[in-house]
Parts: sequence; structure tokens; C-alpha cells
Amino acid sequence: MDADCASLLPGVCAVLAASGRSLPDDTSLEKLLDWFTGLTEAGGSLLEACPCLLEFISTVVLNTAVDPGVLSFALRLTGLMAATEDGYEKLQERSVLDQVFQLQRWREAGLWEDPCLRIGWILGLRSMLQHPKALCFFVQSDFIDPLLQLQTDASLFVASAANQMLAHILLFFQPVPSLGCNGVDKKEEDDDDGTKRASAAYAAALAAISGYLKESLVPKKYTALRQSLQILKLLALLLAAAGPPLCDGLLQTAGDPLEDLVAAGCSQLTLPLMDVLLAACSSSGFNQRVPDQRVGRLLSSMLDVNEPADLLHAAAAFLRRGHHSDVVNTTRAVRILLLPLHIVTGQTLLGTNATADGRRSSAVEQLKCKTSCISMTCVTLTNAPRIALLPLGVLPCAPDLIVTAVLSLLRICSGVSSSSPPGCGEVCRNVIGSGKVQKCALEALTALDGSPGATEKTSEVFTVLMQYLENPDSDPTVLHKSYQAFVKWTGVCTDLSFVTDQLRLDLVELVRRRACDMRWEVRDSTVEFLGQLAGLRASAATTEGTASDALLGARCTTPLLKEALQDAESYVRASAVSALAKSLTHGWQQGAAPSEDEKEIVSRLLEILSQDTEGFPRRAVVQYFASWFSSSASPSSAPLLMRCARSVLSQGSADLDWEVKVHTLELAQLLLDEAFSGHRGYRKVSDAPHPRAAVSELTRAPRASPEGAESDLAAAVELGVVAALLSGLVDCDRPVGLRACRLLMALRDAVCPPGPPDATAAVATVSCELPGGGGWGEEIRKTLGVESGEGGARVSVCEALRSLGLDERLDVLTRSSDHVHNSPLSLLQDILTASAAHTRADTQPGEEVIVDCY
Amino acid sequence: MKLYCLSGHPTLPCNVLKFKSTTIMLDCGLDTTSVLNFLPLPLVHSPRLSKLPSWVSKDGTINLEKELKECAGRVFVDSQPEFCLPERELLDLSTVDVILVSNYHCMMALPYITEHTGFTGTVYATEPTLQIGRLLMEELVTFMERVPKAQSATCWKNKEIQRMLPGPLKDAVDVWTWKRSYSMQEVNSALSKVQLVGYSQKVELFGAVQVSPLSSGYSLGSSNWIIQSHHEKVSYVSGSSLLTTHPQPMDQSSLKNSDVLILTGLTQMPTANPDGMLGEFCSNLAMTIRAGGNVLVPCYSSGVIYDLLECLYQFIDNANLGTTPFYFISPVANSSLEFSQIFAEWLCHNKQSKVYLPEPPFPHAELIQTNKLKHYSSIHGDFSSEFRQPCVVFTGHPSLRFGDVVHFMELWGKSSLNTIIFTEPDFSYLDALAPYQPLAMKCVYCPIDTRLNFHQVSKLLKEVQPLHVVCPEQYTQPPQSQAHRSDLMLELHPPPMPYRRCSVLNLPFRRRYERVYILPELANSLVPSEIKPGVSLATVSAVLHSKDNKHTLQSVPKAPPAPPSKKRKRVPEEPPVLLGPKPLLSGAVPLEAFLATLQKHGITEVKVEETADGHILHLQAEDTLIQLEEDGTHIVCDNNEPLRTTLRDLVLRFLQRL
Repeated sequence: MDADCASLLPGVCAVLAASGRSLPDDTSLEKLLDWFTGLTEAGGSLLEACPCLLEFISTVVLNTAVDPGVLSFALRLTGLMAATEDGYEKLQERSVLDQVFQLQRWREAGLWEDPCLRIGWILGLRSMLQHPKALCFFVQSDFIDPLLQLQTDASLFVASAANQMLAHILLFFQPVPSLGCNGVDKKEEDDDDGTKRASAAYAAALAAISGYLKESLVPKKYTALRQSLQILKLLALLLAAAGPPLCDGLLQTAGDPLEDLVAAGCSQLTLPLMDVLLAACSSSGFNQRVPDQRVGRLLSSMLDVNEPADLLHAAAAFLRRGHHSDVVNTTRAVRILLLPLHIVTGQTLLGTNATADGRRSSAVEQLKCKTSCISMTCVTLTNAPRIALLPLGVLPCAPDLIVTAVLSLLRICSGVSSSSPPGCGEVCRNVIGSGKVQKCALEALTALDGSPGATEKTSEVFTVLMQYLENPDSDPTVLHKSYQAFVKWTGVCTDLSFVTDQLRLDLVELVRRRACDMRWEVRDSTVEFLGQLAGLRASAATTEGTASDALLGARCTTPLLKEALQDAESYVRASAVSALAKSLTHGWQQGAAPSEDEKEIVSRLLEILSQDTEGFPRRAVVQYFASWFSSSASPSSAPLLMRCARSVLSQGSADLDWEVKVHTLELAQLLLDEAFSGHRGYRKVSDAPHPRAAVSELTRAPRASPEGAESDLAAAVELGVVAALLSGLVDCDRPVGLRACRLLMALRDAVCPPGPPDATAAVATVSCELPGGGGWGEEIRKTLGVESGEGGARVSVCEALRSLGLDERLDVLTRSSDHVHNSPLSLLQDILTASAAHTRADTQPGEEVIVDCY
Repeated sequence: MKLYCLSGHPTLPCNVLKFKSTTIMLDCGLDTTSVLNFLPLPLVHSPRLSKLPSWVSKDGTINLEKELKECAGRVFVDSQPEFCLPERELLDLSTVDVILVSNYHCMMALPYITEHTGFTGTVYATEPTLQIGRLLMEELVTFMERVPKAQSATCWKNKEIQRMLPGPLKDAVDVWTWKRSYSMQEVNSALSKVQLVGYSQKVELFGAVQVSPLSSGYSLGSSNWIIQSHHEKVSYVSGSSLLTTHPQPMDQSSLKNSDVLILTGLTQMPTANPDGMLGEFCSNLAMTIRAGGNVLVPCYSSGVIYDLLECLYQFIDNANLGTTPFYFISPVANSSLEFSQIFAEWLCHNKQSKVYLPEPPFPHAELIQTNKLKHYSSIHGDFSSEFRQPCVVFTGHPSLRFGDVVHFMELWGKSSLNTIIFTEPDFSYLDALAPYQPLAMKCVYCPIDTRLNFHQVSKLLKEVQPLHVVCPEQYTQPPQSQAHRSDLMLELHPPPMPYRRCSVLNLPFRRRYERVYILPELANSLVPSEIKPGVSLATVSAVLHSKDNKHTLQSVPKAPPAPPSKKRKRVPEEPPVLLGPKPLLSGAVPLEAFLATLQKHGITEVKVEETADGHILHLQAEDTLIQLEEDGTHIVCDNNEPLRTTLRDLVLRFLQRL
């Protein structure tokens, strides 16, 4: 703690003790605590550093009229100070701990009603409970019962904190000799007595908590459900992290009540129960030790409850936790999860007569209700891709049948299915037109692209997706997901025979129409789709014969994208720019000369950069050129690209949008990398790794420096790279300044490394123009101390790089922009100022005091 | 109560309800799908149409060279198009007291009903319904009269010949009843019988029933009707919509507690969501214009076109169509566009509030001001000189058989750049296009039907809970083309009563009550006696006076004192002597107490037998039976009148008299 803070702290304590009402804002106390926690974690002792805190605590806890927020703060602060044995002992000496944590006092003062105080009490104790002595204190003070009561507190925050605290006690102090550092029975020769006491305390705590678990886990009446829920959460927390002895003990204690709970089959407890059982499985060991037969049995019973919805959730939880070595239960879970799909679609996923009639008929009943039908179907669909990847042994059908079922469901949903399975008309009606099921099914279909046997279904998949894309009633998100699925399946498709002329024609017609859709979201998805499809082409290993090529060639895509550049919605324009970049990447990689079409696009893009009123398209344009530059085989020999780079740099760095400027600097970086990566001393700025960066490093042999540097630097100046960097350096947006500063440093290290100036004499002759007229040029001139002339001024680049104080600037820029305001000193000052203002306001009523704490 | 169904078309209904003493016609829609069997009426001489070959039967026996022409494998009647009228033989139309019109599409048969049938009643409709209905009729008459056809084909209607014709002519029903369009004079005469009503206005019909229109949300001034007496309520739901388009929203709550709800006019396109279709319409339009083609939108001159224009108003800037001209061509285009702006009180709230701002409710006014939308009464005149392509043309008639649209079909049909977009759901687009085949022009079908769909109507019925629902039979089964879609039909408990053309339904409820008024002085004279807590009864003797279906109880006039005339007159017939009615009895005879009383009176030998309805007491000594039942007591005793009287009096002791 620095001296300034130390000197202000007593004043602050006095203010807090006097009254908490005058705090600048309600986060001040949290910030103070954060600061103290930081100090403690850094190894400092709060007690020694600021004795005033102890004074503060002693005063505050005696004054029950103080704001409960401040009291809560005091409780937590006390816990923090007692977190070390040393601190604990000092506080004990002054019997502060008893005073602070004694419940009776708070209850009598009526302050215990305030959840703020209760949570302060819990968190304070939680901070303190880091050593055995604290545990002894905790147990001796009989705090365990109140804590257990707080577990079902009316305030959810308090209840949750209490649960965490209970778990902390049992886990942190659990006797695990091998794990060793926290256990209460670790051997400390000099304090054998203490150890014993701690062991006893732990045993007492464990006994109390276990007793509570055993007693209260099964709800006596319906209203006690919340308690059971909390205990199950606690059990799950404990079982997930407990070592074997504790775990076994807990399971032994909770075994009977758990069995009762499972037998009771309470819907609301299904998922928490599954969590507990699965946590028990993982920790107690299907994997390492002898499986706990009881847990296995309970798990089986959970997968056999009567309520179809609960069953489904239990099965989903089981599958999610991935205990796939348990073949019997996995098979069972899979069958449960597939049942709704089996019923709704009529696909024989589970064989013809495989499912017990009782379960099937109860599921059918449930599916007749619209809401549960939709939710159950969605659970099934969410799990379908995971199921399709399971080993064949546990699957009741071939994985491709799952794809068929999902497709069939999609058809039913859109109302185009020509028939519904016998007896399920009522069920099918619930999913017709349901956007939620459609979205879930499309997501499932997208994820099923890699499942075994899926490629057989490609043609069917495209038929269904086309139906969705054609459907005028499809919601924009449904269309978007259909497009995503389309791209994904096109990506995995190797057999081009499915690309029929009809499909191609339909798709062309469709994207043309969708590109004119009324809803901009649809136009945007369409444009994005065109880009993604073209992207598949660019990323394909082979140069010919990809499915995306066969579906939509550039001849169809490019005119649509050009049209979309004029769209009324800026997001669509931006997507069109990105999609164009993707669709042209392949050509750039091949080093083909730009076509007339491309030239036209380029001039339109430059127009957008200079005239578009929205930021998104302008950002996209700068990225377009960056991506052109990085995909290009030899960018410097593409005159059009280099011409464009010059105007993008000048316009982009003068843009009003800071992201445009950052992207412009990315382009500048690419240009620098291209020019200087061969120079000794040039280090790539690594915070924005670029795919091309790695390649260029490998392919280029380092050039002898610095003879080439002069011309390269001159070229960079000529292109406007240096001007862009300098203007970025003095930009008022920190991310821009930071990036520019790093790039300038890299440039400095490459062209004028520290050393005898004569070695870099030639480079020093390269100069650049600093424009006049109050802009960035003026700013740089001021920094460099150059006389400002009529118009601009020319400075030597090297000299500028050396004298701009880049290292110091980087220091300032790396710190967050509000670092001054967030410092503890500022916080303390704020509290004092606010208090002063508050007092003044008290004396002069009517005068409003507005405190701006930021 | 009976319902006579004169039309089988679910959205162009014509039903007659006999309720109490009134005969009420509910709508008189004109089924115009019959015109699809006729050749189009070109506005300008069409060489293609005039060169169509005549149809000759395969064996050559039938040759109606003048009447039937063949085009692309289908046979059309070459004559002035004719319409299928509502049934006129099922009941005498001159007995119809009133006609309630629910919207302007459902009144197109009005002149056929009100003229030349002896109809002398009144037609009730809202003002926009009347005015726009007039426009549509006027347009129809103009379309027909503008291109007169000398001959009228009738030979093909001969049953023997029709049987030999190819479909769909062969299957056309009641072709003899098909009629040519009415004249303007008939329109004027028919519309002069219309009396205007406002929403929720109550109109008394002969004191027997009260009718009242409710907003139905479908079109300007469209209404559903409530027909009620004091104790019965019939709701008539015709074309209604829950979507937020231009008209006032639908009034649903007033439909509650109906005994019978007659449900017609649901959407004809249950699977086409209007929003989606509107979207398709716009994107197809934009796509065609961008490719340099023209767009033809066959439509009615009022209704959905307002929404289309409003939608386009927002869309054209987004889609960069700012310079494309939009033409609206109809003999009544100007009136339609202007009328829509002045019916402020019939518009949705949003548009109503614009009336207080210096801007018109519909944005098409701005489209006209900025010259983006131009309207013409026909393709002749100014239009031909100002016409610029590519463009979008809105024009009628949606059947493509008459109106200016015929010209554009001939003009643009050959180029695949052009697109025709169907938005009206009344006609099958393939049938409409049949006489223009082969056609290169692109066809898009975006039927926009904002009327209630099955989902909405199920919800509505759940809410308003009518006791019985009557609907066209088409609504009780899924559409033929989608037999598996059980969601596209009405499923109700009890099931709805289906009707078809010419059905006569006995509506399943009996009138059980009638309201009778009692005069104050008579009421004052009543002496009620309480027969059980909260229920009092009184007998009343009065004269029932019925006039104009109102019933009043009046005091019995006292016999006039003998006239103080000395002259002997023939004694007039005495007014019938009014004997006081016997008092009414109520209550039950308690068995134990009754037996005790009998014993007091010396009757001791009583055998009691329990029966299903009460008890039988056998007075053995007297050989007499007393049957005590819930609603009657019988004393059976032969030839012992004094005993009977005694017993009667004993029974009466336990009963209350009124």
C-alpha cells in the first residue's frame, strides 16, 4: 500500500463508521473489499499495514445504527483479516471475532432481517475459514446450525452463499493425507493438540451436516421442496469434488433418502437428482474403483420413472455427462431420448415393437399437449447428433435413420409431409408450423452432417432444405439456420451426382428472390450464405469440382452481391462486402489478373469507404482489402491492389469510426510485414496474428539489412503507411493508438535500430510529410518540437520514430483508459469528497450535489 | 328456426334465416368462378384469340362452331361471361324482409336478388360497404359493357350436349341458371334499397328481432351481424380478420353467448400466411424489375390493394425501385383511392389518428403526389402516352377474363422477363391462365387472404363459446389436396352443422321464452306469496295484447255499466263471465303427518305402499286408494262422495294455496 493511500485510509474509516449514506455509489464498498483482498493475496497483512481498520471494525460493530451495508462490509473485512492464522490470532486477542460474528447481537438489534447483513456474515466467515483454527472457532461458536438454516433463506443469494460455504467447509478441510495441504489431520508436530482439536471440529461439522442431509433431504411436505433442492445442489457440489473417504461417507449417509427421493418421482427434483447421481458416479467411480452398486441402481431407476418429460430430461442429463462405458444405461437413455422422435415421425428408430407399450402410450399422451410436445421434441433433437455418434452397439437403429427421422420431422413441421404416422395426427398437429421445433431440427441436421452414413442422405437433405428456403412463411431465423445447414452439408459432400440441374436452377432462382426479400435479416442471411458457399470453394484442397462450385458459380453469385452493395440496410451492405471478399479469394490466390467486374467492384467499394454513412460497410471494405492483400500471391506486383491500398490507408485512417481505423492499421501491418519481414530487427506485431504472417516468415530468407531498408521505407512512406501509423498514434481512441504505437516500434526496430547513427545514415534521409491545419500532423509536430510552417512540414522518419517516445507512450496506452479513476487512491478520495459534499449539502438544504464517480 | 342455404361457396355466402316472424337474408355473394369457362374479352382486337379453332367433338357429331373455342387443350365458351347466382328456387325471395350485407365482396349478387324477384324489403350495410360495393359493381358493368358481345351462347348448356363436352365444362353445375352481368340501372335500383348502419347500431325488425353490425376487421366497413331477440341470439360471422391491416379491428366479445353461430368466410388459403405472401410478392416484384421485366398484378380495385401499396411504399426505397412507375388501372381507380382516405372512422386506430395530422391515412396519397403511383380509368387515353417500362401494373379483373388485365396478358405474356403475380385468392391461377397458354411470362402465386384461419377461428370459438356452430361443409374436413392436415378443419364439440348449396337446416334450438310486459297498475294489484325462500308466485288475470311482436298484459276491462239509455237496444252479447280461476296449489303432503290426521278422523286401517314416485295409501276399511305423488294426488274411491271430499280437504290442509 502506498503512503498516499495509507494516509487517507483513517479518514475513510471515520467516514464509513460515521455513516455509510454518503458513499459516492453503491459499489464503493465492493471496490474497497476488492482492493483489500488484492493486498491480502499479495501477502500483505492488513492489520499491520492499516491498524485503523481494526479500530474501525471495533467501533462499527458496536454501533447498530450504522448502515447495514457498512456493517456487512465490516463483517467481510474481518473475515479477510482473519484469513491468516496470524491475523486470526490478533483479532482473537482483542475478542473482535466474537463480537463481529456473534449472531445473538445482530438478531437482538433487528439487523439479522437484512439479507445484506446475513450475506456479510456468511462471506466473512467464508474468507476466514482458511485454517484449522478458524474451523475450531466456527464449530465452537455453534455456527453450523444457523448456517444450515440459511441454506433455505428467503434471499436466493444468501441461500446460495450458504450452500457454497457448507461445501467449502467439508471440502477444504477434508482429511486427505495424500492431497495434503489443507487437511485437518496434516501432521504438525509442534501443534498436535491443535490438530486434534481441528479434527474434532471437522468431525463435528461433518456429523452436523450429514445429520441434516439425512434428516431433510426427503421433503416432509410439498413446501419443503426448496430445501431438498438446495441439499441436492450441495450434494452435487460435494460429490463432484470430494475425495474417496468423504464421498463414501456422504453416499452412505444420503443413500437411503436418495432412494426415497428417486422412488417419490418428484418432477422438479429430477434434474438435481440426476446431477447428484452422476456426480456420485464420476467421483466414486465407475472408472477407478468398484462401482457403487447402489448409485448404479438409483441411476437405473431414474431412467425408469413414469413421467415421460422427467424421463427425457434424466436421459439427456445422463448422456450429456457421457458415462458411455455404462452400456446398459446408455442404451436405455438413447431409447428414451429417441422415443418422441420415433412417435412423431413414425420412423422405426426403436424397432417395430421394441418399446414397452406403457411407456409409449404415456409418451403419446404427453405429446398430445402442445407445449410438452414441443419441449420434448426439442430435447430429443438437441441430443440427436450426440446419439448418432455413439457406438453402434448402443444404438437401436442405424445412425442414418436418425437423419431420416430429423428430415421427416422437418417435413411434418412445414406441413408438406403427405402423411402422418397412424394414430399420431394429433401429435403431428402440435409441431406443424412450430418455429422452435424447426430451428432445433435444423440445428440438429446441421450437426448431423458428420454422422456415419450421413452422406447417403445428402440428396434428401437438400430437398428438405430447399423446401424450407422456398417456404414464404419461414421465419428469418429458420431461413438462416437452413442456410447454415446447407453450407455445412455442401462442405461434406464429395459426390457431385446429387447436384441435379433442377436443384441448381431452383437454388439460383431462390437466392435471387431471397436477395430481394422484404426482411433485411433474410437478405443478410442470403448474402452471407453466398459468401460462405464461395468460401467453401476457396478453402477446398482441389481447385475444381467442389459441390459449392457445382451449385452456385461465381457467375450467379457476383451480380447478386454487387446488387447487395446498394442495399438500404447497412448490415446487408457489410455482409455483401465480406461475401465478395470470400468469393474472390480463390482468384486472388491464383494470382489472376483482376477482371472488369472486379475493377468495378473495387471502385464501388472505395465509394462505400468514402461515402457510406454507416460504420459496418466501411469496416467490411477495409477488411476486404486486407484479405485481398493477404491472399494475394504477390501483392506488390498487383498494381490495382497497391493503388487501392494507398487510398484505403488515407481514407481509413481519417475515418470517424475507430474500428475502421483499427482495420486500416491491420492493412498497414500487412504492408509492413510484406516490406520488412526480411529485415533483421523486424519483429511482427503478434497480437493480431495473420494467417499469412507465418507463411511469409518461412518462405522469405532474411535480407541483408539495412541496405534495402531505405527503399522499402521510402515505399512505405509513399504508400501512406507511415502517415497512417502516425495519425493512429495520436488518435483519441486507445485501441487505435496502441496498435499504431506497436507497429511504429516494430518499424523503428527494423529501419533505425539503436546503434551508431552512421549505419542508418541512408535510411535517415527518408522523410515524410506532416500535414498542417490542426490535424494529426500538428499533434506530431508538437511532440517532435518541429516549427510549424505555412503548410506541412517534412521530417525524417527515423528521427521521428526515435523521438516520439514510443516506449513511454506504449506504457501509457497499455494501461486501461480508466486506470487513474480505478486506482485505490481515487476511490478513497471519492469517498472522502462525497462525504464532504454530503455534509455541506446537509448544512445547505436544497443544493443538489451530483457526484460523478467516474 | 330455419336456415336456407342458397350458395355453396364458403366465402361468397348467401343464406336465409327464418327467425321468429322474420326472414333475413345474410349476404348475397356472387360466385364469379363460372367466368373461368369463358374466353377473355379483349379490349383491343386480339388476333390470337380471334384465330382460336372451334371445338369439335371427336366423332364430329357436335359442332358448336360459334360457341366453343379450343385453346391449349381446353374448351372455352365464346360469349359474354356469365355468373353463377345464388339459388332462387329454394324459397320465394319476395318473402325476404331484410338483407344484411357483411362486406362489399359479399353483395355482388344484390341486383339479381332485389330486382325482378318481388323483393320489397330493406338492405342494411355500412357506408363504406355500400360505396365500395357500388364501385365494384360499376367496374364490373363497365368491364362488360365496354366490350359488348353480340351473341349469347346457350346451345352448349343443353344437357345432352354438355354431357359430351370435355371437363371442366362438363362438370359445371346449374349452367342454366348462369346469368349475364346486370346493368347500371339495376345496380342503382338495388343500391337505392340500402339503408346505412353504423357499428353496434341496433336496428329493430318488426319488434321481433334486433340486428346489429359489428366490426369484423376484414375490409373497410366489413361487419359481422348479431341477430337477437330477448332470449335468443344468433351470430353471423362472415369474412373476418384478426390481422392488423387497414380496417378497424374485429369486435370479438360481442359474439359471446350465442345460441347459434353461423360461420362463413374463413381464409381460402389456410396454408398461405398473408405476411409470408406479402413478402413473396415484394421479392418477386423486385426480382423482376431488377431483371428489366414488367410486373402484372391482377386485383380487385379495393381491399388488399391498399395494403399492397402501403407495403410497396416502404419497400421500394429499400429495394432501390424508386424510379419504377406503378400504374393502377380501373374505371374506378380514382374513386377507390380517394374513398379509402375519407372513411377515417372505419379505419384501424393507427390510421384514424393520422386524420388529426396533416397527412392522409394511407401512404398511397404520397405515392401519387411523388408520381410513383399513377392511376388511369383504362388503357386508352392518357395511359398510352405516359406508359413507361419496366413497370408494375395493378388492374382487374383477377379472373383474367375481362377488364384491362386481358390486354396486358396479351402484351406481356410472350416474354419470360415479365411476371404475373396473383394476389387475389378467389380464382385458381392455373385456370385463370388457361386461355393464355402457352405462356412465357413467369407466374407467381401469392394469394393474400387475411380472413380468419382455422387456428384463429378455433381460438375465437373457444372464447365466445356458441352453443351451436353452422358452417359450410368444406370447413368440416381437411382440404382435398391436403387430406392429412387435420389442423385445417373445424373440430368442435358438439360438431358443427355443415351446410351446402340448397341445404335447409333446422337450427337445433327451441325458443322457450317470450318476453311479456305487464302494465304498472296490473303489477300493483298482484299479491305474491312466497313458496320457498326467494321464490314468490302470484296469479294474474289479464288480457294479453300483442302488437308488432310486442306482448303486453293489460288489466281485464270491467264490464261497462249498462248504458243509461232508455232506449231498448238489443242486448249486446254479454262479455264472457270471468270466473275466478281455481287457486293453484303447491307443496308436498308429508306422509307421517297425513297418516296421523287420518287417524284423528277415524281412519286407522291404512296400508302404505312405496312406489317409484311416492306412496299409495290403501284405506282398507273404506276400500279407497290415495296416491301421493310428487306432482299429483289422486283419491280413488267409488261412490262415496262425502268421503272423497273429506279426504280432499285433509290433503288440502297440507298444501299451500296461491
